[in-house]
Amino acid sequence: MSSETNGTAERFAIGISFGNSSSSIARLNAEGKAEVIANEEGDRQIPSVLSYIDGEEYHGTQAKAQLIRNSKNTVAYFRDYLGKDFKSIDPTPCHNSAHPQQSDSTVAFSINDTTAETPNTVTVSEITTRHLRRLKQSASDFLGKQVTAAVITVPTDFKDAQREALIASANAAGLEVLQLIHEPVAAVLAYDARPEAVVTDKLVVVADLGGTRSDAAVVACRGGMYTILATAHDYELGGATLDKIVIDHFAKEFMKKHKTDPRENARGLAKLKLEGEATRKALSLGTNATLSIESLADGIDYGSTVNRTRYELLSGKVFAQFTGLIDQVVKKAGLDVLDIDEVIFAGGTSHTPKIAQLARNIFPETTKILAPSTFVGAINPSELAPRGAAIQASLIQEFEKEDIEQSIHPMVTATPHLQNAIGVEFTSGETVDFKSLLNAETALPARRLAQFPAPKEGGDVFIRVCEGVREIKVTKPEPKPKEEKPAKDDDEDDSDFDSDEDEEEEETREIVWKTEKPIAELAVKGVKAGSKVELMIHVNADLGLQITAKEVGGQSAVRGAVEAPKA
Amino acid sequence: PSLPAGWSAEKDFKAVGTVSAPTQRNLEPVGPHFLAHARRKRHHRTFSEDERI
Repeated sequence: MSSETNGTAERFAIGISFGNSSSSIARLNAEGKAEVIANEEGDRQIPSVLSYIDGEEYHGTQAKAQLIRNSKNTVAYFRDYLGKDFKSIDPTPCHNSAHPQQSDSTVAFSINDTTAETPNTVTVSEITTRHLRRLKQSASDFLGKQVTAAVITVPTDFKDAQREALIASANAAGLEVLQLIHEPVAAVLAYDARPEAVVTDKLVVVADLGGTRSDAAVVACRGGMYTILATAHDYELGGATLDKIVIDHFAKEFMKKHKTDPRENARGLAKLKLEGEATRKALSLGTNATLSIESLADGIDYGSTVNRTRYELLSGKVFAQFTGLIDQVVKKAGLDVLDIDEVIFAGGTSHTPKIAQLARNIFPETTKILAPSTFVGAINPSELAPRGAAIQASLIQEFEKEDIEQSIHPMVTATPHLQNAIGVEFTSGETVDFKSLLNAETALPARRLAQFPAPKEGGDVFIRVCEGVREIKVTKPEPKPKEEKPAKDDDEDDSDFDSDEDEEEEETREIVWKTEKPIAELAVKGVKAGSKVELMIHVNADLGLQITAKEVGGQSAVRGAVEAPKA
Repeated sequence: PSLPAGWSAEKDFKAVGTVSAPTQRNLEPVGPHFLAHARRKRHHRTFSEDERI
């Protein structure tokens, strides 16, 4: 404890994303840009795998390769077992590595991690500690400075027991956990922290497509602050599901030639898994990928190629599951695809071009799809979480531990969010238009400033501040003009065909704003022609409002307050 | 919009309603804007007070 109090300046923090399949470490570089650090093997996505031979520890890619020859002493896919009861875990991903076992109240693995003959029982917490220690070492070696603290990303559904277990494991590895942050928020932060990014109000869907699980979340960004509106999880869907398609494809091809199924032999299956994953990843970059395995089964070497079109055809159903998850989370938030401003693709499986393209079809054209295949400036989806963590780490590493704790806890839960949007009503003739100034789900207190053009002729300006609700207006294409067509055309058959096609035209859906209830009315008098009126609305945490309006460049302002509603 | 005829109020301002009840939600404690928010809340400062410091 004494070392913590005598100087927080000595703290050196990095961002860590800790996944079931792989982990990454990141740090802000000298220019203040987040940068993912490669380990000594040159990997930026470091497999979360540990393996032991003759008492020697292997980590990352080296350990992953041991899944073929030394699967019993190799531990993989352990993140989601941390802080959990043995009965509640799904051991399926560990089928081809050391199996999880019950040990008192936690999960453990029985592995030969020393030179001794008998295996040791190592708890998942200890495995996590060893894994984090290696990550810390890689970062320290690269940066030339001892890393002492970290911000670690966790899934949104991580329970308190899991969080505590992770913090304890990290502490045991010599890492002070400054904060655990949620993976989708880290991804949003990684995009928002780019210098070219502008802080705006937007609704973002983060699709985190991982190796053994996939998560989706709807995040409301309001004035640079984030609120998670809904989350959805699929614990069986991920890159491994796609790997299986590739594996099955090649296994069937092999069987046709050699009459044995390489999947029935444990070593053959392990080889297929390793190479199949590499092939699947290659298909995200190129349109063709090869697979070659020495002595796959019965001592037969095997080599083949597959093209992307074929792979996409075989994977159609699984791709639909990914987009289904995105659809599901939007519905869960009580929103429509029209409400979504951005879709951020995160996680290794997000490199798959087809998934982003399918998402493109779900959302309107105005929605930005941030994935490498649909957006030129996209950040590598695998690097979003560690970058976000690194940015957060740099923001808080100077803080006292107490400060961080105080800021994190009571502040978060006690924040009211606006139920409806607040904005200004414009009346021009018959039509009533609404311009939102503070969107729904904005955390309070908040304030916004906006400028509106005054009427051309100048004079007195009337401002009506209202609450607004967005509605989805569905316009069905009118069938009328189609019926007129056959009358003009003499050739009946052809025109019949045309009108059939026209009728298939989709209905158009758009967002319309409806003013719900007026809040305040203001008048700015004697505004010059062509000038602008500036309006500032400040909403207190108790829902009281302060409104100020004035002509841009003008001296006198109209001010007023609206009292908080009586509870 | 122009001022409708016959509209008047004390100091040109009239409160006519209140805001609907808020929903309690959890903010994510991440990012520079949140940290600024946390700082304001802990020291009970308003936006303008915070800017002056």
